[in-house]
Amino acid sequence: MLKGVRMINIDFSAYEETRPKVEGVVCPTCGKLHYPAPMICDRCNTRRDPSGARYSRWETTELEGNCTLLTWTRVHALPDGFDIPFLQFGIVEFSNGLRASGLLKSENPEIGMQLTAIADVVRETGNKKEWGLVFVT
Amino acid sequence: MRKVAVVGIGHTRFGNLSDYNLVDVMAMASLDAMEDAGITEERTLIDQLFVANMGGGIINHQTGIASALVSRIAMEPTPAELIENGPASGASAVKLGYMAVKSGMADLVMVTGGELMRAVTGWKGTDFVATLLHPDVEYRYGLTLPAFGGMFTRLYMERYGLTERDLALVAVKDHANGAKNPFAHVQNECTMEGIYDGPNAEVVNNYVAEPLRLYSMCPVSDGAASLLLCATDSPLYERFKKRAGIVISGIGSATDTHCVHNRKDPLDLEAVRISAERAYQNACLTASDISFAELHDAFVILEIAISEEIGLFRKGEAKNAIAEGATKVTGSMPINTSGGLKAKGHPVGATGVSQVYELVKQLRQEAEEGRQVADPVHGIAVNFGGFGNNVVTTICSKEFA
Repeated sequence: MLKGVRMINIDFSAYEETRPKVEGVVCPTCGKLHYPAPMICDRCNTRRDPSGARYSRWETTELEGNCTLLTWTRVHALPDGFDIPFLQFGIVEFSNGLRASGLLKSENPEIGMQLTAIADVVRETGNKKEWGLVFVT
Repeated sequence: MRKVAVVGIGHTRFGNLSDYNLVDVMAMASLDAMEDAGITEERTLIDQLFVANMGGGIINHQTGIASALVSRIAMEPTPAELIENGPASGASAVKLGYMAVKSGMADLVMVTGGELMRAVTGWKGTDFVATLLHPDVEYRYGLTLPAFGGMFTRLYMERYGLTERDLALVAVKDHANGAKNPFAHVQNECTMEGIYDGPNAEVVNNYVAEPLRLYSMCPVSDGAASLLLCATDSPLYERFKKRAGIVISGIGSATDTHCVHNRKDPLDLEAVRISAERAYQNACLTASDISFAELHDAFVILEIAISEEIGLFRKGEAKNAIAEGATKVTGSMPINTSGGLKAKGHPVGATGVSQVYELVKQLRQEAEEGRQVADPVHGIAVNFGGFGNNVVTTICSKEFA
């Protein structure tokens, strides 16, 4: 097939696959949720193999939606190039018990408040965008 | 079983040494330790060097630092290895030195820790330390150690009723000690009026990672410290007996989850508690035997939390002890008589070695006027790596205690 023809047949569904997601994994044996993905389950010792060659792949689970703020900070000492007065960070707990750290976007944060976790750009260096968890009210 | 004595100690000034070379700075401390022990000319009697450094490869663009140090102090062909264990590299090197002597594989070991962090900007120094965090789920967000310190402090305040005023009291005490320590990075005292109670406090002592302020954090420092360890049953020990015998009576370390969010209770510093339990067990001592402590106050909250975790105070009660002056040099449980990381400074690879240096100095009763603890018998040091995911506790004692 000619190169040009192949260009026309772009499979747009491939683009959907790049939709930013923050994922945990599920142990296929005992069902324990993990974030980030370990190489062995700390509950039942099932091994994970990212290549899927020796052991079966672990299903992923998206970290999004309702969560509770466990603690937070507002950092005023920022790296060069940040044109904002401060950045806020928090640690949250999801209803399934998973916990995560991420950026916190709330004007009056309080320990115990309900937040929503979304996947968004958390850092931009040049043209490179880093995606991650953002907790919003 | 053979005991491990500390027979020589060396220390450089902590502060801004960016005009100098990392290996030269480590060599200064090492030669000072040999001079203290009186074996400069016979230094090849040393069986082994353990060298602690965290960031030479990143911030000083230098690797193979242990080999370079051996050569700089003309000690070839003495074996030498580098130990990198984050901000606990120093105490880890002490632990390996202790293990080498205790096992009988070596009789005389040198442990040197050093770091030159001010070769780069303050932000780059903070960023380099942050590379020990989880790269995907922590570091990528711009999270740093001060950010984790801030989140830990906020939760601690909520649960135990700690106030920002309590944090300032720790800083004032540490600065008072640091002002009397000729090796301290920051040698000026600060007052409650200046950093908390006064009208300009908000400006002088601004927020860095809320609720931690400038005077709640250690400075970014350069410096090195060194120790000589000797087996007390070795014929070599005879030559060191003119000095007061100080031994490492116990050492223990422990690890915890890489990600802070994966701890059942984010306020539970399990690695600190377990490392201390192991060190107490190793030394056949308990917290009630301890005369004084050097605790890893990279953020002043850590002095408070560690002192409780290792059993010097009950959970939530360290703040009362601080308010009553118990942690001052003249108090019932002096903490950070060196000024701590807060005032003495925190060259990451040097800190753990420097803490043991202070234990020995106090136990020899050679500390400067105004910061010598009265009749100390056992001192404890906690070197805290990561945000508590690798912690080493060392106990030093008078030899015939």
